[in-house]
Amino acid sequence: MTNIEDLKKEAKRLLEEGKVKYIIGYEKGKERWTATPVFIKKPEDVDKLVWDPTCVYNLAKFLVDDKRRKKRERQPDPRPVGVVVKGCDSRAVVVLLQEKFINRNDVYLIGISCEKAGVGDEKKLAKQIGNKKILKTEFGDKNIIITTEEGKVEVPVEEVLASRCLECKVNFPVIVDVLLGEKTKRAVEKPFKSLENTESLSKEEKWNFWKEQLEKCIRCYACRSVCPMCYCDECVADSICFAVTADTSADEKAQKIKWVEKSSDLSENFVYHLVRAIHLAGRCIDCGECERVCPLDIPLRMLNKKLEKEAKELFDYEAGLDPAQPSLVSSFKDEDPEDFIR
Amino acid sequence: MSEDFEPKIVAFLCKWCSSAGSDLAGVSRMEYPPNVIPIQVMCSGSVSPLYIFSAFNKGADGVLVSGCHPGDCHYIKGNMYARRRIALVKKLLEHIGLEPERFQMSWVSAAEGTKYTQVIKDFVKMLKPLGPQTKLRRNP
Repeated sequence: MTNIEDLKKEAKRLLEEGKVKYIIGYEKGKERWTATPVFIKKPEDVDKLVWDPTCVYNLAKFLVDDKRRKKRERQPDPRPVGVVVKGCDSRAVVVLLQEKFINRNDVYLIGISCEKAGVGDEKKLAKQIGNKKILKTEFGDKNIIITTEEGKVEVPVEEVLASRCLECKVNFPVIVDVLLGEKTKRAVEKPFKSLENTESLSKEEKWNFWKEQLEKCIRCYACRSVCPMCYCDECVADSICFAVTADTSADEKAQKIKWVEKSSDLSENFVYHLVRAIHLAGRCIDCGECERVCPLDIPLRMLNKKLEKEAKELFDYEAGLDPAQPSLVSSFKDEDPEDFIR
Repeated sequence: MSEDFEPKIVAFLCKWCSSAGSDLAGVSRMEYPPNVIPIQVMCSGSVSPLYIFSAFNKGADGVLVSGCHPGDCHYIKGNMYARRRIALVKKLLEHIGLEPERFQMSWVSAAEGTKYTQVIKDFVKMLKPLGPQTKLRRNP
Protein backbone atom coordinates (compact mmCIF):
# COMPACT_ATOMS: atom_id res chain seq x y z
CA MET A 1 0.00 0.00 0.00
CA THR A 2 1.34 3.39 -0.93
CA ASN A 3 1.95 5.41 2.17
CA ILE A 4 1.01 9.04 1.90
CA GLU A 5 3.68 9.93 4.43
CA ASP A 6 6.36 8.59 2.07
CA LEU A 7 5.04 10.86 -0.63
CA LYS A 8 5.09 13.88 1.67
CA LYS A 9 8.58 13.04 2.90
CA GLU A 10 9.91 12.71 -0.62
CA ALA A 11 8.23 15.94 -1.73
CA LYS A 12 9.59 17.77 1.29
CA ARG A 13 13.11 16.50 0.64
CA LEU A 14 12.99 17.56 -3.01
CA LEU A 15 11.78 21.04 -2.18
CA GLU A 16 14.16 21.56 0.70
CA GLU A 17 17.14 20.46 -1.36
CA GLY A 18 15.92 22.65 -4.19
CA LYS A 19 16.02 19.78 -6.65
CA VAL A 20 12.74 20.78 -8.28
CA LYS A 21 11.00 24.02 -9.22
CA TYR A 22 7.74 22.90 -7.78
CA ILE A 23 5.76 19.75 -7.32
CA ILE A 24 2.48 19.04 -9.04
CA GLY A 25 0.29 16.74 -7.02
CA TYR A 26 -3.22 16.34 -5.71
CA GLU A 27 -4.90 18.01 -2.78
CA LYS A 28 -8.28 17.29 -1.26
CA GLY A 29 -11.07 18.62 -3.46
CA LYS A 30 -12.75 21.68 -2.07
CA GLU A 31 -16.00 21.76 -3.94
CA ARG A 32 -16.26 18.40 -5.59
CA TRP A 33 -15.47 14.84 -4.81
CA THR A 34 -12.42 14.73 -7.09
CA ALA A 35 -9.06 15.86 -5.80
CA THR A 36 -7.71 19.17 -7.05
CA PRO A 37 -4.31 19.47 -8.72
CA VAL A 38 -1.99 21.46 -6.52
CA PHE A 39 1.31 23.19 -7.22
CA ILE A 40 3.57 23.04 -4.20
CA LYS A 41 6.45 25.47 -4.05
CA LYS A 42 7.27 25.57 -0.35
CA PRO A 43 8.37 22.60 1.77
CA GLU A 44 5.87 23.47 4.51
CA ASP A 45 2.96 23.01 2.10
CA VAL A 46 3.60 19.33 1.45
CA ASP A 47 0.97 18.31 3.97
CA LYS A 48 -1.62 19.30 1.39
CA LEU A 49 -0.72 16.29 -0.74
CA VAL A 50 -3.17 13.41 -0.85
CA TRP A 51 -3.31 10.07 -2.59
CA ASP A 52 -6.65 8.28 -2.75
CA PRO A 53 -9.17 7.16 -5.38
CA THR A 54 -10.23 10.76 -5.95
CA CYS A 55 -6.95 11.57 -7.74
CA VAL A 56 -8.41 11.15 -11.21
CA TYR A 57 -6.69 13.91 -13.15
CA ASN A 58 -3.84 13.33 -15.54
CA LEU A 59 -1.14 15.68 -14.32
CA ALA A 60 1.02 15.14 -17.41
CA LYS A 61 -1.05 17.89 -19.02
CA PHE A 62 0.64 20.45 -16.78
CA LEU A 63 4.03 19.54 -18.25
CA VAL A 64 2.78 20.81 -21.59
CA ASP A 65 1.76 24.08 -19.94
CA ASP A 66 5.07 24.28 -18.12
CA LYS A 67 7.00 23.97 -21.34
CA ARG A 68 4.98 26.79 -22.88
CA ARG A 69 5.51 28.97 -19.84
CA LYS A 70 9.22 28.27 -19.88
CA LYS A 71 9.43 29.40 -23.48
CA ARG A 72 7.99 32.78 -22.61
CA GLU A 73 10.16 33.43 -19.56
CA ARG A 74 13.25 35.49 -20.00
CA GLN A 75 15.29 33.56 -17.47
CA PRO A 76 13.62 30.20 -17.11
CA ASP A 77 14.31 28.12 -14.04
CA PRO A 78 16.42 25.20 -15.32
CA ARG A 79 15.37 22.87 -12.53
CA PRO A 80 12.95 20.06 -13.34
CA VAL A 81 9.30 19.97 -12.38
CA GLY A 82 8.27 17.34 -9.87
CA VAL A 83 5.14 15.49 -10.90
CA VAL A 84 3.16 12.87 -9.06
CA VAL A 85 2.33 10.26 -11.68
CA LYS A 86 0.05 7.28 -11.69
CA GLY A 87 0.52 4.47 -14.19
CA CYS A 88 -1.48 6.19 -16.91
CA ASP A 89 0.10 9.60 -16.30
CA SER A 90 3.56 8.09 -16.58
CA ARG A 91 2.63 6.60 -19.92
CA ALA A 92 1.56 10.05 -21.07
CA VAL A 93 4.96 11.36 -20.00
CA VAL A 94 6.60 8.53 -21.95
CA VAL A 95 4.77 9.57 -25.12
CA LEU A 96 5.77 13.20 -24.56
CA LEU A 97 9.38 12.04 -24.16
CA GLN A 98 9.12 9.75 -27.17
CA GLU A 99 7.94 12.66 -29.30
CA LYS A 100 10.72 14.78 -27.82
CA PHE A 101 8.22 17.34 -26.64
CA ILE A 102 9.84 17.41 -23.23
CA ASN A 103 13.28 16.36 -22.06
CA ARG A 104 13.86 13.70 -19.49
CA ASN A 105 15.79 16.07 -17.24
CA ASP A 106 12.97 18.61 -17.28
CA VAL A 107 10.80 16.32 -15.18
CA TYR A 108 11.24 14.57 -11.90
CA LEU A 109 8.71 11.78 -11.73
CA ILE A 110 7.36 10.71 -8.38
CA GLY A 111 5.62 7.52 -9.35
CA ILE A 112 2.73 6.12 -7.39
CA SER A 113 1.61 2.61 -8.05
CA CYS A 114 -2.14 2.09 -8.15
CA GLU A 115 -1.44 -1.46 -6.97
CA LYS A 116 -4.68 -3.40 -6.90
CA ALA A 117 -6.97 -0.45 -7.20
CA GLY A 118 -7.09 2.66 -9.36
CA VAL A 119 -9.11 5.80 -9.37
CA GLY A 120 -12.83 6.12 -8.92
CA ASP A 121 -15.51 7.19 -11.31
CA GLU A 122 -17.83 9.90 -10.05
CA LYS A 123 -20.82 8.57 -11.93
CA LYS A 124 -20.38 5.02 -10.73
CA LEU A 125 -19.94 6.30 -7.21
CA ALA A 126 -23.15 8.28 -7.39
CA LYS A 127 -24.95 5.08 -8.32
CA GLN A 128 -23.59 3.39 -5.22
CA ILE A 129 -24.19 5.97 -2.58
CA GLY A 130 -26.66 8.38 -4.10
CA ASN A 131 -26.16 12.06 -3.50
CA LYS A 132 -24.88 11.84 0.03
CA LYS A 133 -21.91 14.07 0.67
CA ILE A 134 -18.66 12.13 0.64
CA LEU A 135 -16.18 13.18 3.27
CA LYS A 136 -13.39 10.77 2.58
CA THR A 137 -12.47 8.07 0.07
CA GLU A 138 -9.76 5.60 0.93
CA PHE A 139 -8.15 2.49 -0.51
CA GLY A 140 -9.03 -0.61 1.43
CA ASP A 141 -7.61 -4.07 0.99
CA LYS A 142 -10.01 -5.23 -1.67
CA ASN A 143 -12.57 -2.51 -1.25
CA ILE A 144 -12.79 1.19 -1.45
CA ILE A 145 -13.86 2.73 1.84
CA ILE A 146 -16.13 5.71 1.48
CA THR A 147 -16.96 7.84 4.46
CA THR A 148 -20.17 9.79 4.08
CA GLU A 149 -22.10 11.92 6.50
CA GLU A 150 -24.01 8.84 7.53
CA GLY A 151 -21.05 6.59 8.15
CA LYS A 152 -18.65 4.26 6.41
CA VAL A 153 -19.53 2.24 3.32
CA GLU A 154 -17.28 -0.38 1.80
CA VAL A 155 -17.72 -0.87 -1.90
CA PRO A 156 -15.94 -3.54 -3.98
CA VAL A 157 -13.27 -2.09 -6.24
CA GLU A 158 -15.00 -3.24 -9.45
CA GLU A 159 -18.12 -1.27 -8.63
CA VAL A 160 -16.59 2.18 -8.38
CA LEU A 161 -13.35 2.12 -10.36
CA ALA A 162 -13.21 4.06 -13.60
CA SER A 163 -13.68 1.69 -16.53
CA ARG A 164 -10.22 2.51 -17.87
CA CYS A 165 -8.72 1.36 -14.57
CA LEU A 166 -10.51 -1.95 -14.88
CA GLU A 167 -8.88 -2.42 -18.28
CA CYS A 168 -5.46 -1.11 -17.28
CA LYS A 169 -2.69 -3.64 -17.78
CA VAL A 170 0.12 -1.45 -16.49
CA ASN A 171 -1.19 -0.07 -13.22
CA PHE A 172 2.20 1.14 -12.04
CA PRO A 173 4.37 3.94 -13.44
CA VAL A 174 6.59 2.70 -16.25
CA ILE A 175 9.16 5.44 -15.88
CA VAL A 176 10.03 7.01 -12.54
CA ASP A 177 12.71 8.76 -10.55
CA VAL A 178 11.30 7.47 -7.32
CA LEU A 179 8.61 4.85 -6.96
CA LEU A 180 6.19 4.65 -4.07
CA GLY A 181 4.23 1.46 -3.64
CA GLU A 182 4.80 -1.87 -5.28
CA LYS A 183 4.92 -2.87 -8.89
CA THR A 184 2.12 -5.35 -8.72
CA LYS A 185 0.65 -6.32 -12.01
CA ARG A 186 -3.03 -6.88 -12.06
CA ALA A 187 -4.36 -9.64 -14.24
CA VAL A 188 -6.72 -8.19 -16.81
CA GLU A 189 -8.66 -10.80 -18.67
CA LYS A 190 -10.22 -8.56 -21.25
CA PRO A 191 -8.23 -5.39 -21.85
CA PHE A 192 -10.69 -4.27 -24.51
CA LYS A 193 -13.88 -5.21 -22.72
CA SER A 194 -15.55 -1.83 -23.14
CA LEU A 195 -15.37 -2.24 -26.91
CA GLU A 196 -17.29 -5.50 -26.94
CA ASN A 197 -20.69 -3.85 -26.86
CA THR A 198 -20.16 -1.75 -29.95
CA GLU A 199 -18.06 -4.26 -31.85
CA SER A 200 -20.80 -6.86 -31.82
CA LEU A 201 -23.20 -4.44 -33.51
CA SER A 202 -24.00 -4.53 -37.21
CA LYS A 203 -22.92 -1.77 -39.56
CA GLU A 204 -26.17 0.11 -39.33
CA GLU A 205 -26.40 -0.27 -35.57
CA LYS A 206 -22.86 1.02 -35.19
CA TRP A 207 -23.73 3.99 -37.31
CA ASN A 208 -26.87 4.70 -35.34
CA PHE A 209 -24.97 4.39 -32.08
CA TRP A 210 -22.30 6.87 -33.08
CA LYS A 211 -24.79 9.15 -34.76
CA GLU A 212 -26.79 9.37 -31.58
CA GLN A 213 -23.65 10.02 -29.55
CA LEU A 214 -21.95 12.55 -31.80
CA GLU A 215 -25.14 14.44 -32.50
CA LYS A 216 -24.92 15.57 -28.90
CA CYS A 217 -21.48 17.11 -29.28
CA ILE A 218 -21.52 20.87 -28.76
CA ARG A 219 -17.89 21.25 -29.81
CA CYS A 220 -16.77 22.74 -26.53
CA TYR A 221 -13.36 21.16 -27.20
CA ALA A 222 -13.04 20.09 -23.57
CA CYS A 223 -11.71 16.73 -24.81
CA ARG A 224 -8.98 18.52 -26.69
CA SER A 225 -8.13 20.87 -23.85
CA VAL A 226 -7.75 18.13 -21.28
CA CYS A 227 -5.78 15.72 -23.45
CA PRO A 228 -2.07 15.61 -22.60
CA MET A 229 -1.36 14.48 -26.15
CA CYS A 230 -3.20 17.38 -27.81
CA TYR A 231 -0.34 19.81 -27.47
CA CYS A 232 -0.20 21.28 -30.99
CA ASP A 233 0.13 25.05 -30.98
CA GLU A 234 -2.38 25.20 -33.78
CA CYS A 235 -5.13 22.66 -34.11
CA VAL A 236 -6.26 21.57 -37.53
CA ALA A 237 -9.85 21.75 -36.33
CA ASP A 238 -9.60 25.50 -35.79
CA SER A 239 -10.19 27.35 -38.98
CA ILE A 240 -8.56 30.40 -37.43
CA CYS A 241 -5.14 28.83 -37.63
CA PHE A 242 -4.09 30.91 -40.57
CA ALA A 243 -1.79 33.87 -40.22
CA VAL A 244 -3.67 36.95 -41.33
CA THR A 245 -1.38 39.89 -41.86
CA ALA A 246 -1.84 43.26 -43.48
CA ASP A 247 -0.65 41.68 -46.72
CA THR A 248 -3.20 38.88 -46.74
CA SER A 249 -5.56 39.48 -49.61
CA ALA A 250 -9.29 38.96 -49.39
CA ASP A 251 -8.90 36.24 -51.96
CA GLU A 252 -6.39 34.38 -49.82
CA LYS A 253 -8.70 34.59 -46.83
CA ALA A 254 -11.56 33.23 -48.90
CA GLN A 255 -9.46 30.45 -50.37
CA LYS A 256 -7.90 29.19 -47.17
CA ILE A 257 -8.59 25.61 -46.40
CA LYS A 258 -11.19 25.01 -43.77
CA TRP A 259 -11.01 21.35 -42.93
CA VAL A 260 -13.69 21.31 -40.29
CA GLU A 261 -16.50 23.80 -39.90
CA LYS A 262 -17.06 25.24 -36.46
CA SER A 263 -20.77 24.55 -36.45
CA SER A 264 -21.82 21.55 -34.41
CA ASP A 265 -23.43 19.73 -37.32
CA LEU A 266 -23.36 15.98 -37.25
CA SER A 267 -21.09 15.75 -40.29
CA GLU A 268 -18.63 18.27 -38.84
CA ASN A 269 -18.67 16.58 -35.46
CA PHE A 270 -17.81 13.32 -37.16
CA VAL A 271 -14.86 14.80 -38.98
CA TYR A 272 -13.61 16.47 -35.80
CA HIS A 273 -13.83 13.35 -33.68
CA LEU A 274 -12.42 11.09 -36.39
CA VAL A 275 -9.48 13.41 -36.87
CA ARG A 276 -8.90 13.55 -33.15
CA ALA A 277 -9.05 9.78 -32.93
CA ILE A 278 -6.62 9.24 -35.77
CA HIS A 279 -4.23 11.87 -34.44
CA LEU A 280 -4.20 9.98 -31.17
CA ALA A 281 -3.64 6.60 -32.80
CA GLY A 282 -0.64 5.00 -31.15
CA ARG A 283 -0.35 7.97 -28.78
CA CYS A 284 -3.45 7.70 -26.65
CA ILE A 285 -2.49 6.11 -23.36
CA ASP A 286 -6.07 5.66 -22.24
CA CYS A 287 -6.20 8.03 -19.32
CA GLY A 288 -9.89 8.45 -20.07
CA GLU A 289 -9.82 12.17 -19.40
CA CYS A 290 -11.67 13.07 -22.62
CA GLU A 291 -14.60 10.93 -21.67
CA ARG A 292 -14.61 12.19 -18.09
CA VAL A 293 -14.69 15.86 -19.00
CA CYS A 294 -17.25 15.51 -21.77
CA PRO A 295 -20.29 17.49 -20.61
CA LEU A 296 -22.54 15.39 -22.82
CA ASP A 297 -21.19 11.98 -21.85
CA ILE A 298 -20.04 10.95 -25.31
CA PRO A 299 -18.07 7.69 -25.00
CA LEU A 300 -14.98 9.21 -26.62
CA ARG A 301 -12.72 6.64 -25.06
CA MET A 302 -14.21 4.01 -27.33
CA LEU A 303 -12.84 5.72 -30.45
CA ASN A 304 -9.33 5.84 -29.02
CA LYS A 305 -9.59 2.40 -27.51
CA LYS A 306 -10.57 0.95 -30.88
CA LEU A 307 -7.42 2.31 -32.48
CA GLU A 308 -5.38 1.12 -29.52
CA LYS A 309 -6.76 -2.34 -30.10
CA GLU A 310 -6.05 -2.25 -33.83
CA ALA A 311 -2.53 -1.01 -33.20
CA LYS A 312 -1.99 -3.93 -30.87
CA GLU A 313 -3.55 -6.52 -33.14
CA LEU A 314 -2.31 -5.34 -36.53
CA PHE A 315 1.07 -3.89 -35.65
CA ASP A 316 1.80 -5.22 -32.16
CA TYR A 317 2.28 -1.69 -30.91
CA GLU A 318 1.52 -0.40 -27.46
CA ALA A 319 1.72 3.27 -26.64
CA GLY A 320 3.58 4.76 -23.73
CA LEU A 321 5.81 1.93 -22.61
CA ASP A 322 9.18 2.80 -24.09
CA PRO A 323 10.40 6.33 -24.82
CA ALA A 324 12.95 4.97 -27.29
CA GLN A 325 10.61 3.14 -29.62
CA PRO A 326 9.57 4.83 -32.87
CA SER A 327 5.95 6.00 -32.90
CA LEU A 328 3.20 3.98 -34.54
CA VAL A 329 2.67 6.01 -37.70
CA SER A 330 6.29 6.99 -38.21
CA SER A 331 7.49 3.43 -38.44
CA PHE A 332 6.56 0.31 -40.34
CA LYS A 333 7.38 -3.33 -40.61
CA ASP A 334 7.70 -5.29 -43.81
CA GLU A 335 5.15 -7.77 -42.58
CA ASP A 336 2.43 -5.17 -41.88
CA PRO A 337 -0.92 -6.50 -43.11
CA GLU A 338 -1.87 -5.57 -46.64
CA ASP A 339 -4.74 -7.89 -47.34
CA PHE A 340 -7.06 -4.91 -47.73
CA ILE A 341 -5.00 -3.50 -50.60
CA ARG A 342 -5.57 -4.76 -54.10
CA MET B 1 -30.79 1.58 -55.10
CA SER B 2 -31.66 2.57 -58.63
CA GLU B 3 -29.37 1.45 -61.40
CA ASP B 4 -28.71 4.95 -62.70
CA PHE B 5 -26.93 6.11 -59.56
CA GLU B 6 -23.46 7.19 -60.53
CA PRO B 7 -21.05 7.17 -57.59
CA LYS B 8 -18.49 9.89 -57.24
CA ILE B 9 -15.04 8.57 -56.42
CA VAL B 10 -12.17 10.71 -55.22
CA ALA B 11 -8.87 9.04 -56.05
CA PHE B 12 -5.64 10.15 -54.45
CA LEU B 13 -3.02 8.94 -56.91
CA CYS B 14 0.67 9.12 -56.24
CA LYS B 15 2.56 11.08 -58.84
CA TRP B 16 5.19 8.50 -59.63
CA CYS B 17 3.16 5.33 -60.10
CA SER B 18 -0.61 5.42 -59.93
CA SER B 19 -1.03 8.76 -61.59
CA ALA B 20 1.26 7.66 -64.38
CA GLY B 21 -0.72 4.42 -64.48
CA SER B 22 -3.96 6.32 -64.95
CA ASP B 23 -2.25 8.40 -67.60
CA LEU B 24 -1.22 5.25 -69.39
CA ALA B 25 -4.82 4.06 -69.29
CA GLY B 26 -5.78 7.38 -70.84
CA VAL B 27 -3.24 7.52 -73.62
CA SER B 28 -3.83 3.85 -74.41
CA ARG B 29 -7.52 4.69 -74.85
CA MET B 30 -8.67 2.09 -72.39
CA GLU B 31 -12.27 2.49 -71.38
CA TYR B 32 -13.24 2.86 -67.78
CA PRO B 33 -16.07 4.55 -65.86
CA PRO B 34 -15.89 8.35 -65.72
CA ASN B 35 -16.89 8.44 -62.04
CA VAL B 36 -13.45 9.06 -60.70
CA ILE B 37 -11.97 12.43 -59.81
CA PRO B 38 -8.21 11.97 -59.73
CA ILE B 39 -6.13 14.08 -57.35
CA GLN B 40 -2.42 13.83 -57.84
CA VAL B 41 -0.38 13.73 -54.67
CA MET B 42 3.37 13.45 -54.42
CA CYS B 43 3.22 10.17 -52.54
CA SER B 44 0.57 7.92 -51.08
CA GLY B 45 2.35 8.52 -47.79
CA SER B 46 1.49 12.19 -48.02
CA VAL B 47 -2.23 11.47 -47.94
CA SER B 48 -3.36 12.70 -44.56
CA PRO B 49 -6.32 10.89 -43.00
CA LEU B 50 -7.88 14.33 -42.93
CA TYR B 51 -7.98 14.37 -46.75
CA ILE B 52 -10.00 11.19 -46.66
CA PHE B 53 -12.48 12.35 -44.03
CA SER B 54 -12.75 15.65 -45.81
CA ALA B 55 -13.48 13.98 -49.14
CA PHE B 56 -16.32 12.02 -47.56
CA ASN B 57 -17.47 15.16 -45.80
CA LYS B 58 -17.64 17.08 -49.05
CA GLY B 59 -19.68 14.49 -50.85
CA ALA B 60 -17.51 11.63 -52.14
CA ASP B 61 -19.28 8.28 -52.38
CA GLY B 62 -16.00 6.44 -52.36
CA VAL B 63 -12.36 7.26 -51.78
CA LEU B 64 -9.40 5.49 -53.33
CA VAL B 65 -5.81 5.88 -52.27
CA SER B 66 -3.37 4.44 -54.73
CA GLY B 67 0.39 4.27 -54.62
CA CYS B 68 3.43 2.38 -55.81
CA HIS B 69 3.94 -1.28 -55.05
CA PRO B 70 5.93 -1.92 -51.88
CA GLY B 71 9.58 -1.44 -52.65
CA ASP B 72 8.90 0.80 -55.65
CA CYS B 73 8.28 4.03 -53.79
CA HIS B 74 10.05 7.02 -55.26
CA TYR B 75 10.72 8.16 -51.71
CA ILE B 76 11.87 4.67 -50.69
CA LYS B 77 9.28 3.99 -48.00
CA GLY B 78 6.41 6.49 -48.26
CA ASN B 79 3.92 3.83 -49.32
CA MET B 80 4.87 1.67 -46.34
CA TYR B 81 3.86 4.46 -43.97
CA ALA B 82 0.69 4.91 -46.01
CA ARG B 83 -0.13 1.23 -45.67
CA ARG B 84 -0.07 1.47 -41.89
CA ARG B 85 -1.97 4.70 -41.71
CA ILE B 86 -4.63 3.68 -44.20
CA ALA B 87 -5.20 0.42 -42.32
CA LEU B 88 -5.99 2.44 -39.21
CA VAL B 89 -8.29 4.82 -41.08
CA LYS B 90 -10.10 1.88 -42.61
CA LYS B 91 -10.64 0.29 -39.21
CA LEU B 92 -11.81 3.57 -37.74
CA LEU B 93 -14.33 4.15 -40.52
CA GLU B 94 -15.63 0.63 -40.06
CA HIS B 95 -15.90 1.23 -36.33
CA ILE B 96 -18.21 4.18 -36.75
CA GLY B 97 -20.37 2.24 -39.19
CA LEU B 98 -19.37 3.48 -42.63
CA GLU B 99 -19.53 0.77 -45.27
CA PRO B 100 -15.96 -0.56 -45.54
CA GLU B 101 -16.34 -0.88 -49.31
CA ARG B 102 -16.39 2.89 -49.66
CA PHE B 103 -12.74 3.25 -48.85
CA GLN B 104 -10.14 1.37 -50.83
CA MET B 105 -6.45 1.27 -51.33
CA SER B 106 -4.55 -0.18 -54.24
CA TRP B 107 -1.04 -0.52 -55.58
CA VAL B 108 -0.88 0.54 -59.20
CA SER B 109 2.44 0.96 -60.96
CA ALA B 110 3.12 3.26 -63.89
CA ALA B 111 2.89 0.31 -66.27
CA GLU B 112 -0.40 -1.00 -64.93
CA GLY B 113 -2.93 0.98 -66.93
CA THR B 114 -5.07 -2.12 -67.23
CA LYS B 115 -4.99 -2.74 -63.52
CA TYR B 116 -6.03 0.86 -62.89
CA THR B 117 -9.07 0.55 -65.14
CA GLN B 118 -9.95 -2.72 -63.44
CA VAL B 119 -9.65 -1.16 -59.96
CA ILE B 120 -11.98 1.66 -60.96
CA LYS B 121 -14.44 -0.69 -62.70
CA ASP B 122 -14.66 -2.92 -59.62
CA PHE B 123 -14.92 0.04 -57.28
CA VAL B 124 -17.82 1.55 -59.23
CA LYS B 125 -19.53 -1.84 -59.37
CA MET B 126 -19.16 -2.16 -55.61
CA LEU B 127 -20.44 1.33 -54.88
CA LYS B 128 -23.53 1.24 -57.12
CA PRO B 129 -25.63 -1.01 -54.89
CA LEU B 130 -24.66 1.00 -51.80
CA GLY B 131 -26.23 4.19 -53.08
CA PRO B 132 -25.09 7.69 -52.21
CA GLN B 133 -22.92 8.20 -49.17
CA THR B 134 -24.92 10.38 -46.80
CA LYS B 135 -23.42 9.50 -43.46
CA LEU B 136 -20.39 11.74 -43.38
CA ARG B 137 -21.67 14.17 -45.96
CA ARG B 138 -22.07 17.79 -45.04
CA ASN B 139 -25.66 18.91 -45.28
CA PRO B 140 -26.19 20.88 -48.43
